Amino acid sequence: MYPFGKGISRFVPFLLLLIPLALYVMFYFGPSVMTVIYSFTNITNVPGNGMKFIGLDNYHDVFFSGNSGERVDSIIRTLYFMFIVTVVQNGVALLVAVIINQKLKGDYFFRSVFFLPVVLGVAVVALVWSMMFDPLSGPVNQLYNALFGYKDMFFGSFTHAFRYIIFVQIWMYMGYSMLIFLAGLQSVPKELYEAGYIDGTTKWQSFRHITFSLIAPSFTVNMLLSIIGAMSTFDIILATTDGRFNTRTMAYDVYKETFRGSLEMGLPSALSVVQFLIILVFVIVAVKQMRKREVEY
Amino acid sequence: MFKKLSVVMLSSMLLFTLTACGSGNNGAANGTNASSTAAAGDPTAKPASVEKKVIKILHWKQENINKAIEEINKKFEEKYPEYKVEYTTTGPDDEYKQAQRARITAGDVDILADLSGMRLSPKEWTPGAKVPDWQQWIDSGLIADLSDQPFVKNYNANDISKAGTYNGKVYALPTGKVAMSGFFYNKEIFEQNGLAVPTTWTEFIKALDTIKSKNIIPIVVAGKDVWPLKLPVFGLQAKILGGGDQEKWIEGVWKGETKYNDKEAVEVLDKMKTLQDKYIIEGFMGIDYATAPSIFATGKAAMIADGTWDAPTIATANPDLKFGFFPIPATEDAAKNKSLVGKYDVTWYAAEKGPNKEGAIKWLEFFSEPENYSAYVQAAGFLPTQDNIQTNSEFIDKELSPYLTGGFELAYEILMINRDNVGEHLAAEGVHTEYLAPGGEFKTAKELADVQQKEWEAAAPK
Repeated sequence: MYPFGKGISRFVPFLLLLIPLALYVMFYFGPSVMTVIYSFTNITNVPGNGMKFIGLDNYHDVFFSGNSGERVDSIIRTLYFMFIVTVVQNGVALLVAVIINQKLKGDYFFRSVFFLPVVLGVAVVALVWSMMFDPLSGPVNQLYNALFGYKDMFFGSFTHAFRYIIFVQIWMYMGYSMLIFLAGLQSVPKELYEAGYIDGTTKWQSFRHITFSLIAPSFTVNMLLSIIGAMSTFDIILATTDGRFNTRTMAYDVYKETFRGSLEMGLPSALSVVQFLIILVFVIVAVKQMRKREVEY
Repeated sequence: MFKKLSVVMLSSMLLFTLTACGSGNNGAANGTNASSTAAAGDPTAKPASVEKKVIKILHWKQENINKAIEEINKKFEEKYPEYKVEYTTTGPDDEYKQAQRARITAGDVDILADLSGMRLSPKEWTPGAKVPDWQQWIDSGLIADLSDQPFVKNYNANDISKAGTYNGKVYALPTGKVAMSGFFYNKEIFEQNGLAVPTTWTEFIKALDTIKSKNIIPIVVAGKDVWPLKLPVFGLQAKILGGGDQEKWIEGVWKGETKYNDKEAVEVLDKMKTLQDKYIIEGFMGIDYATAPSIFATGKAAMIADGTWDAPTIATANPDLKFGFFPIPATEDAAKNKSLVGKYDVTWYAAEKGPNKEGAIKWLEFFSEPENYSAYVQAAGFLPTQDNIQTNSEFIDKELSPYLTGGFELAYEILMINRDNVGEHLAAEGVHTEYLAPGGEFKTAKELADVQQKEWEAAAPK
């Protein structure tokens, strides 16, 4: 019953757990709470300047100051980004996972290839695509020119830069979703397909009713990861356009206000609280919806 | 047994962290005492070696300048063996700012560099504007007053008063300036087409048309990084806004007397739009700053809008290229167009409460000796702020000096004091012509100007 024996020593596991708990509280939970508190103050990161509670002023500034229109734009852009990335990334990942799961030759090779961008890291991916998308000498523009007689400015275009960032984001994390789907696919018992085969199901029917139902847990995980990931993305934006050309998102704004703006900490804190709340709402709604269709067999 | 061991380990780790913090605080609080007592009577030190007083210098990474300063440090240590110079560099920009803030408040630095001189100090007519870091430091007594130091007289009085003086006292040494409101031009292309350096806007447009008709790209600008687009604009602003007195115009904007959509401001945008529409390389919004010089250096473009600091880059990209530099001829008055617009670069402060103020002053004195200073300026490629300095640079002596006699104006970004929360069309002390068509959404200069004025008013303190 108790691996650590009886009496006082059965508390040892709890004592051991206290260490990560303390670390968690100190380095994660504590700062998070402090962020919320800071968002109601006029704190700066100049030592010795003190802080004063100013109520909801920071939140008011987020939505009603001179440049708050840009913040609202960022929020809308973030939601657009999240929506496209979640749908396309998971759609493509599922397709690729199903194909790879057919036990075709060299599936490990394909897995590695698709997973590679995740391993590369944002800086490398941004560099690779900046070179691919170079308007003067990049191969993509030469291809465009040869095929359609059209040229693009890519990361330097006000209208297209954000779409290219979405493309790079999906390209980068598709392998990650694919891997989770693959794990889910491999847990689907073969007997079910065999039973379906005997009952005379078509390929589509067995995918729709067996595969799709049984990989629901992987679906939930993937959706959650891409919703949270997409909504807090700023690194790929920083590395490709640095927020220029209408590509700022909420997370980028928080980064920019905190580390490159003024010494004030109140407003960025309020911004990140707003970001957190928006993500929370979407995650709760998504989880509720996804849980509904998870089935046990 | 296991429990006891873990308790001992935990408590010792705790103790260790506590003592580490404690000693750190101590050092910061009475840094001068700690280091001087250590120097004087540390019994563990070897008797043979004399304890040296450390001078701590903080700077950002910029290879050519770093090398020159290390050279100066070596000579300094030879001349004054009692001192040891600890020269630390961090990454530029944000990383450097963080280091600056941390070290000056902790009293852990003797000399620190600052970008661009002492700029953007709020005035009585700028309610609600931010107080810059350097001013906060001086106001709280962290920066040493250099007014009475004899070496300050080595520097040009005008430069010291523009970029090193606050409240009538000298606090900083601006070590060089850079010009950025002009174009590098390919001398061969100009000669082959019978073109002279244009001195008025009309001549400039004529020259551009000639170049364009020969199927040569007239101007290359790295638009992807956005800030290079501001360089020609700085020239236009300095000569056009306020009839040539942009400081007056900026004050007027704060007071509501001049506007971002008044005639002069629209003229600036309009002239830049003309260049962007017709003469700047197609697709300039996709060209980044590292690529642009190579396009110019290979002779594909006749001109490049860039700061004078990039002359070595261009020369390296094509050593055979013959190039010159001229300020953008912003107006029809050739005499007015003759001077350059730019900014001050590396500016030294000495810390008042650093561990070794006396050493810092001595180092600055050594640095300011004409011989050491000229070695530094040559390495950095700056325009000197000391008089009668040989730069040994053909580019500076031949190409730039004709434009330096008529004075040197500071760029809009240095003089402008921005409002908090100002919109993106005015943010970062600029006017952002990248928003003009074809790249951006604004069809005419007036449309952009109206939005700028609206954003400026929206950001007014309530």
